[in-house]
Amino acid sequence: MKIAGREHVDEIQEEDDAVSLCSLYAGNEMFGIDTRKIREVLGERDLQRVPMSPAFIAGVVPYRGEVLTTVNLRALLGLEAYAGKCCVLVMADDEAAERFGLVVDAVGGVVTVSRRVLENNPCTLEARAKWLFDGAYKMDAGLMVQLDPKKLSPSRLSEVGLFKNSSNGGLDASPDR
Amino acid sequence: MRLSGAEGDSKWWDAHGYRSLPDIGFVDELTKEFIAESQEGLDRMERCLTELEMRPDDSGLLGEIFRAVHTIKGTTGFLGFDRLEKLAHAGEHLLGSLRDGKLEVTSDLISGLLRLMDGLRGILVLIEETGSEGTRAGDEDGELIAELAMLNGHELSEIEAPQIALVETTKVEGGVTAAASSGSSPALQPTVVSEKASADKTLRIDVDVLNRMMNLVGELVLTRNQMLQSGMEAANFPELARRLDSVTADLRETVMQARMQPVGNLFGKFPRMVRDLARTCGREVRVEFSGQETGLDKSLLEAIKDPLTHAVRNAVDHGIESPADRVLAGKSAEGCLRLKAFHQSGSVVIEIEDDGAGIPIERVLQKAIERNLVTAEDAAGMSEREALQLIFLPGFSTAAAVTTVSGRGVGMDVVRANVEKVGGSVEVESRRGMGTTLRLRVPLTLAIVPSLVVKSGGQAFALPQSTLVELVDIPQREFAQVVQRIGSSELYRLRERLLPMVWLDRLLGLEADSPEQSKGHYLAVLEAEGCRYGLVVDDLMSPEEIVVKPLSPVLREIGLFSGATVLGNGTLALILDIGATAARAGVKPIEEEVGEIGTGEAGVHEASGISFLIFEDRLRERTALPLDVVERIESVPLGQIEYAGGRPLLQYRGELLPLRDEGNVLGEMDAAHQAGDEAMVTVLICGDASVGGAQRGGMVVRQVLDVSTGTLLDRDEATQGMELALVKEKLTQVHREFGVKAKAAWQEVA
Repeated sequence: MKIAGREHVDEIQEEDDAVSLCSLYAGNEMFGIDTRKIREVLGERDLQRVPMSPAFIAGVVPYRGEVLTTVNLRALLGLEAYAGKCCVLVMADDEAAERFGLVVDAVGGVVTVSRRVLENNPCTLEARAKWLFDGAYKMDAGLMVQLDPKKLSPSRLSEVGLFKNSSNGGLDASPDR
Repeated sequence: MRLSGAEGDSKWWDAHGYRSLPDIGFVDELTKEFIAESQEGLDRMERCLTELEMRPDDSGLLGEIFRAVHTIKGTTGFLGFDRLEKLAHAGEHLLGSLRDGKLEVTSDLISGLLRLMDGLRGILVLIEETGSEGTRAGDEDGELIAELAMLNGHELSEIEAPQIALVETTKVEGGVTAAASSGSSPALQPTVVSEKASADKTLRIDVDVLNRMMNLVGELVLTRNQMLQSGMEAANFPELARRLDSVTADLRETVMQARMQPVGNLFGKFPRMVRDLARTCGREVRVEFSGQETGLDKSLLEAIKDPLTHAVRNAVDHGIESPADRVLAGKSAEGCLRLKAFHQSGSVVIEIEDDGAGIPIERVLQKAIERNLVTAEDAAGMSEREALQLIFLPGFSTAAAVTTVSGRGVGMDVVRANVEKVGGSVEVESRRGMGTTLRLRVPLTLAIVPSLVVKSGGQAFALPQSTLVELVDIPQREFAQVVQRIGSSELYRLRERLLPMVWLDRLLGLEADSPEQSKGHYLAVLEAEGCRYGLVVDDLMSPEEIVVKPLSPVLREIGLFSGATVLGNGTLALILDIGATAARAGVKPIEEEVGEIGTGEAGVHEASGISFLIFEDRLRERTALPLDVVERIESVPLGQIEYAGGRPLLQYRGELLPLRDEGNVLGEMDAAHQAGDEAMVTVLICGDASVGGAQRGGMVVRQVLDVSTGTLLDRDEATQGMELALVKEKLTQVHREFGVKAKAAWQEVA
């Protein structure tokens, strides 16, 4: 009891520093996104592909009477498509930003970590990853890379141009077949 | 009109600033109602005023105008809007003199009254936005009231005395408040603008409609409850599903009904606009309306407001000539502008017709060459119809001089773009010296689109029915025969016309089904933005009424999809943008038309304008019916045909259709049937669209041969009173009953 009480006190002291993150997986890496920025975890869904869309678009999925555009995290990381069923997270819409989904391999759970264990991006990181990653938390199990949903929105990604080099097929379908 | 009034005001605020009162932003219910009513009254007044100019003796009109102003005056006094009351009072006074016959209706008087209306509107807008009528710094009302008094002539001195006093007091007051509020007024501006926008978003709905909606929603909830309780396996599940279906359909219809607004609401602002325009351009124009009661979805009404305004401006500025020119051309000095709205095959058509000079083709071509829109060689080879299409190109304007009204190079391309954005289309027709007709065709509603769902590369796509001309089934074994190639492009020969083929799976970079597995293909013949092409798809699914959902900007950028929809089975389908697909595939409208002329058929098509359905009823004879009288071709089991009084009858969709059997097909088939064959009879369901289907009937035929265009032959000795036509160079008899009518119509056209 005594120990539990002390822990409680510690938490309160650290409340300013504590962040609750939702852990998610793509490939071999673990990522984290601030839970306040996630609106809903949809779980496994069938995605409708959109021909001719940029490669980072996983497809569209119906969500509460709307058509939700989803971003494929694997494609952003330059990984192969995932064999199994993907998980869809719906990102919270800030005032101006559009609502969109993020497609990952699997969603873990909610972890609370201290902001003090956050380390900045290493300077050796390549340009794409530098844009995507927002530092990493040093966890017991390894590193958890933080993602910033603002930077993951489809319109931001297409503006940046870092991820424009490929598309979901069809670019060669010019009239002079 | 309300909008332009507000714009004028906002400029005015910039210059002077206005007094911000403590109760700013507070508009109570009573005032809101008063504003809405007054706005409606003023709308009515606007219509009446322009009519009054044409029919100065109409006391009914005058009465209506008087009532509108009087109501505003009466209510304002009660609500305590002094400024509004003063202005309304001045107007009422003038109208009173007019009503008593002391004054004549003149153009100046109408202008004065229109200004009075603008003034009243301005104050109403101000009240709506700020909750008070404010006191403007350099009181404009004083001038207006003085002007109205001037128009009232003999009573000038009476009114002027208190008038001056009013101007003086407001000036002093205004000076103080302008200084006091100079800081706050710029900050106020944005909120005022946004509030204005929200005011336009409200809609008046009949309480009955709202009640019906509520009832239907109640029924929907009940049906859902029953469904949840009974479960999928229950015996009454199909019945519940049917009820759900009917409730949904009813609810949808009711909601649509609530959204429908008469086109007249939009037309209402044109008389005033045309009047002002005609004055600036020195024209004499009369405006005529028809079909104002035609309903259109509110959002669509908003969407076509600007294109329509533009088209009306064009008609007055470019279309109708100056009175002197008109008299020289042998027409009445007064030009006529007709605005028509009517329903046609599931869409609403709005026509803007003027009896002006028409569009000068050679100037259009000259301009297009000047602006490098076409080459001189291309221009020389263009038909009149093709040349007319040039006016829709961006950056095209034929106005000799840039006037304040039009001629800035933004023109018909914007009109077309705006109308097409809402799924509509624009056509233009022009006859030299006779006038121009611009036809806007818009769907009834944006939200729900009838479409055909097709499959290509394993994915579902929706094609809007409005663009779908016909479907062709190409079985795999015939594929090689019917598809022809020129270079690398594939063409389908459809009734002697070559149709460019576009493979949807290839265009979108989807993995095509391997040819061995494929049972064949379907060709959807589509037409959009003047392009006609065949889209090759793997499979047809169901026709469905789809609910259009917008796509995110990134996906809109692809430019091939106009939206997405959730299908009946819960999956998503992308809605194909037919025009953009054509452009992406390289199908060009003009080139295709040149191709048509090359085959030599388009000429015939335009000249005769009649398509025939050709069939065989008597042995060895070809008979034709004009295609537009044939509603459907049905295959009916012989047993379903019943006889009464020796005449064959068919029960068809709850109607009893008399059958005509000229070739004694039924008799022959009966004989064959007794021999044990299962027989199907081909029946043409014929109706005359012009008489609302009253003359519907069926026609038993041996076989349907073709659809083709043809020319009717003149009746002479050789034809022996029969209606004959040449269709594809073969003699064909046109069926009597329907044929005569068609010929009459045809002669009218000629």
